[in-house]
Order: sequence, then C-alpha cells, then structure tokens
Amino acid sequence: MTDARRFEATVLPLLDAAHNLARWLLRDAAAAEDAVQEAALRAFRYFGSLRAGEDAKPWFLGIVRNACFTALARERGRADVTLLDEDGWEKLEARSPNPGPDPLAALGARREQVLVDAALRALTPPMREVIVLRELEGLDYRDIALVAGIPIGTVMSRLSRARAQLKRQLSLAGLP
Amino acid sequence: MNDDDLTRLLLQHASRHPAGDGLRAKVRTQLTLQAASQEALPVRPRWRQRLALLTRIHPGIAGVGGLAAGVALTLLAVFIGPRLAPDGPLPDELVAAHVRALQVGPLYEVASSDRHTVKPWFQGRLDYAPTVLDTPALREQGFTLLGGRVQAVQGRPTAVLAYQLRLHKIDLYQWPAERGSAPERLQRRGFHLVRWSDGATQFWTVSDVDGAELERFAAAWRAAAAAH
Repeated sequence: MTDARRFEATVLPLLDAAHNLARWLLRDAAAAEDAVQEAALRAFRYFGSLRAGEDAKPWFLGIVRNACFTALARERGRADVTLLDEDGWEKLEARSPNPGPDPLAALGARREQVLVDAALRALTPPMREVIVLRELEGLDYRDIALVAGIPIGTVMSRLSRARAQLKRQLSLAGLP
Repeated sequence: MNDDDLTRLLLQHASRHPAGDGLRAKVRTQLTLQAASQEALPVRPRWRQRLALLTRIHPGIAGVGGLAAGVALTLLAVFIGPRLAPDGPLPDELVAAHVRALQVGPLYEVASSDRHTVKPWFQGRLDYAPTVLDTPALREQGFTLLGGRVQAVQGRPTAVLAYQLRLHKIDLYQWPAERGSAPERLQRRGFHLVRWSDGATQFWTVSDVDGAELERFAAAWRAAAAAH
C-alpha cells in the first residue's frame, strides 16, 4: 500500500471527529472546513512523524486543533501571534463576546438543543476544546492531553471548571 | 445536576457536526494532488549511485576514478580548504534570518510563557520534535521564553525558539544532527553566534548580546536540557 493509500485509510475515517471539533472551536462552517482541509494536508506532509502502532486519532485531532487555534487568532486580528494561553483567551473573549444562539437554527431546533449549544458556545475555546473531546468525542484524559498539548492535571482541572460553568448555565435555564 | 446528568444532556442535545460529502471530496482531491506533486519531483541520483553506475560501465574506471578523485580531493584540501569557512554560508544565513525576524517579524508565531503551549504548536509543522525549554533556572538567569516559530534554513523548515534577555532577543535554531560538538563562538556582522550539538540535535543561537552573554545562554540552556 502506498503512503497516500495508507494515509487515506488512516485519516479519512477521522474526518467526522475532526470537523466536529473544528466546528465547535471556530463556530463557523466555512472556517471549520478550511481548518480541516489545512490540517489534512499538513498531516499528510508529516505522516512520517506518526509512529507505527501509534493511535492516529489524537495525533490528527492535535493537528486540527492547532489549525483551529491559528485561525481563531487570525480572525481576531493577531495574524502573527497565536495566543494559546487560557488567560489570553479570556481577555480576547471579553473583547468579542460570544454571538449567542443562531436565530435561524433556533427556529427549527428543539429548546434543549438551543440551550445546550448556547452553553457550549459560551465557554472559552480552551474549555470548549476539552469538553468537546471528552463528552462528544469520548477521548480519555491521556488522549485529550496529547491533542491539546497540556498536562493531564490541566485537562482534569479545565474539564471540571468547564463542567461547573455548563451546569450553572443549564440549571439557570431550567434544564434538565 | 451532577456530572452524569451533564454528560447525558450533552450527548443527547448538543449539535454534532460530521464532515459533509463536500468536505470529504475536497480533502480527497487535495490529497491526490499533493501525492501526485510529490511523485513528480525528480529524484537526483546521489554521487554514490552515479559512481556505481560508472563502474558498471567499465570496472577499470573504478580504480582509475578512485585514484584521480583521491588526488583531486587532496589538492582541494591543501589549496582551497583553509580559505573556506568551516560552516560555509550557514552563519550568515542564520544572522540574516534573525535580523529578518526582528525587522519584519514574526519573531514568534506562538507566544507563550509556558513551554507546554509552544511544544504542541510545532506538532505537524516539522518532521522532528524540537526541545522546548522554559525552566526556572533559565528564568533566574534572565532568559525568558517568548515563543517559537518555523523558518526556512538551508531550504528546510526549522524550529526556532525566541528568548529574551533584558531588551535583547536571542534566537535558538535546532535541527536533527548526527555528530556531537562542543560549543563554539562565531561572529558575523556584529552579531554573535554559538553553536553546539548534543549528538542528536544541532543547535545554533544568534543574538546581538555580547559574546560572553550568549555563551552564558548556551551554557544555561545546555544545563537545563541535561536536567530536563
């Protein structure tokens, strides 16, 4: 099997997870598609760095999240600097508040979905990242640490803060 | 609400965004193009293969060729060798890259006070894993990690870490190497360079701080790497 074939067999099945992560991080359909395409090309170029027997999912999702965070920084007018620190994100978030539920989507969707999506969108990207990877993609702590490039202890503390914020917001909205 | 209630809520109600057929098609197309462009690259035969080819034509050439090549190499080494700088144009290229980064930027593409955010940033951008250090020992000696970037050196994407010492910027370039070597100081156009190798990685550091300070940085970094 050629490298290209091996790559397709390894990475194409991961596109759903990749796109879900990108879409949740970037909150924009076109930007998410761009980020996934960019990540796929980059992954192909560096396919050799994936060791034999290494799980491709955290490896590829790590490349996807890097593409997303670069795009997020670019979108906020900081083309040359990728701010990855949580403090940095909180400052940026304060300047450009979360857009809230999409009114068109809200029309057809069920109330729970609108509320849950809005609560997820209200998290800062680093917190949204760990929640999406844990709760929607079902990754374990070790893989989340690999994807986000943070220690496992940070994964756990970030997850617990994100969960607390989600519970608070959803309870206020009268869920479950 | 406990954690399980929250997990259930998220699993049941959060929107999922699977990749659409359009995206799949785009990714496949790009991959095909990329693979095709890589295959189309002409591969230049290495000199060993060329020599092997030559000897296959006439076995006699191997002996004669070897002798002639030996004589030519000796002459080259005696007459031209000492005039060439041992590192060729590399130090000049590194100084130019350092100046370019200072002038037009970016000095760093990932800014961070934490090596845990610098290291993963390199993931997927390079075909090797650079060592990223930001230890208390380095900070105590005044060397603060500003961030990292990828820059072409000798036509290859190369990991660069940017450190700060007071108002000076120090760039640290690193790439895979096979031979170890002790630190050595050079000077080009008013900039100082210190290079060393730990046997697996070649390091070059460039800055406008004075030579002794740059050697102090190299020593501190090597000590931090050894303790890492």
